Amino acid sequence: MVVLWENIVISILAFGVLYVLLHKFAFGKLFAIMEQRRELVINQIDEASKTREQAHVYVEEQKQALNQARQEAHDIIERSRQTSNKQAEQIVELAKEEADRIKVDALRDIESEKNKAVAELRSELGSVSVRIASKLIEREVNNDKAQEELVDQYLKEVGGRP
Amino acid sequence: MHDSPIIDLGGFRLDLSAVIMLLVTGIIVFVLARLAVRNLSVENPSKLQNFMEWVVEFVQGIVASAMDLKKGKPYISLGLTLITFIFVANVLGLPFAIITDLPADFTVFGQTIEATRGLHDGHMAHVLWWKSPTADISVTAGLAIVVFFLMNYLGLKLNRKHYLKHYIEPFPVFLPLNIIENLAKPVALAIRLFANIFAGEVLITVILKMGYYGIPFLAVWQGFSIFIGALQAFIFTILTMVYIAQTTIHEEDAH
Repeated sequence: MVVLWENIVISILAFGVLYVLLHKFAFGKLFAIMEQRRELVINQIDEASKTREQAHVYVEEQKQALNQARQEAHDIIERSRQTSNKQAEQIVELAKEEADRIKVDALRDIESEKNKAVAELRSELGSVSVRIASKLIEREVNNDKAQEELVDQYLKEVGGRP
Repeated sequence: MHDSPIIDLGGFRLDLSAVIMLLVTGIIVFVLARLAVRNLSVENPSKLQNFMEWVVEFVQGIVASAMDLKKGKPYISLGLTLITFIFVANVLGLPFAIITDLPADFTVFGQTIEATRGLHDGHMAHVLWWKSPTADISVTAGLAIVVFFLMNYLGLKLNRKHYLKHYIEPFPVFLPLNIIENLAKPVALAIRLFANIFAGEVLITVILKMGYYGIPFLAVWQGFSIFIGALQAFIFTILTMVYIAQTTIHEEDAH
């Protein structure tokens, strides 16, 4: 086996030239791209985890909103039920009052009609009794005043015993 | 034994086979690398780019196993060049070899090939043109010398005090031993790579002599040789990184 120093020199040169060429024209770019890819992957992983967290927060918010809406609906139903109950009571109350009022009015009407009838009857009775009396005691009682007083006195006695 | 196509250029014995094979190896590696980085893309890498990135990550793993990757970053390019160059060089000789029988005083570019000089008429020189460049000990020695120079230069430049102190440790008496250890590294590198690849090619030649019966053996051995080629490239690269790490990086708790 012969070792040729010329071959050693040639191979060193060849290797050196190849190293420089590769370093300059191939590997530099490749390393840069790989670095970029690494950053891209890191960014994407970061973003994904961030998005997941956000989604989690959103779900929680949605849940809370749903619960709140349910609570509100419940409240509204409860409130409307109370309101309707109250209104019904009010209506009944009003109706009762109205009925009472109508009853009282009716009673008062009856009373006044009665009084009116009594007064009418009284004046009728007065004139009739006067006529009877005048027939009985013609000319003896001419004075109107005395006649009235007499009638009132009789009527009081009559009214006192209904 | 085959002869090398050597021409004498005024005392400089130019081995045409070595020149051709180194050139072919370099061109293949460079073209492959250029193809891989032709359409670089972050989002949608091509298959070749993926493969090249896998190689880069593999070399990064090698460097990281020898030293801190932050300090080892400048050596990734070196490791990549080494591993691709040596692997391509190792497998180049596997598919075929080109051997010509040349008559006496055969000339190339007007220069006589040394092996054919002074042959008698009727005798032929078997000249081997196409082979693995790493099956030549001079080429592997060249690579090992590059590594040897690099590791000592980097040790002196980056880690001078501890690098020099290392030669007289644990005692000054060990100085010759340490020098021999240092010199043995490139010798081992060169001989290991050369012997593996050369033996592989010799065995291929032997199997070819078996004729048709040798075909299954040849298939098995070719496959194994590809594995050997990759393994030797890997070993050469990782040893280079380990040696560089040994000389350049001083660990406080190592001593």
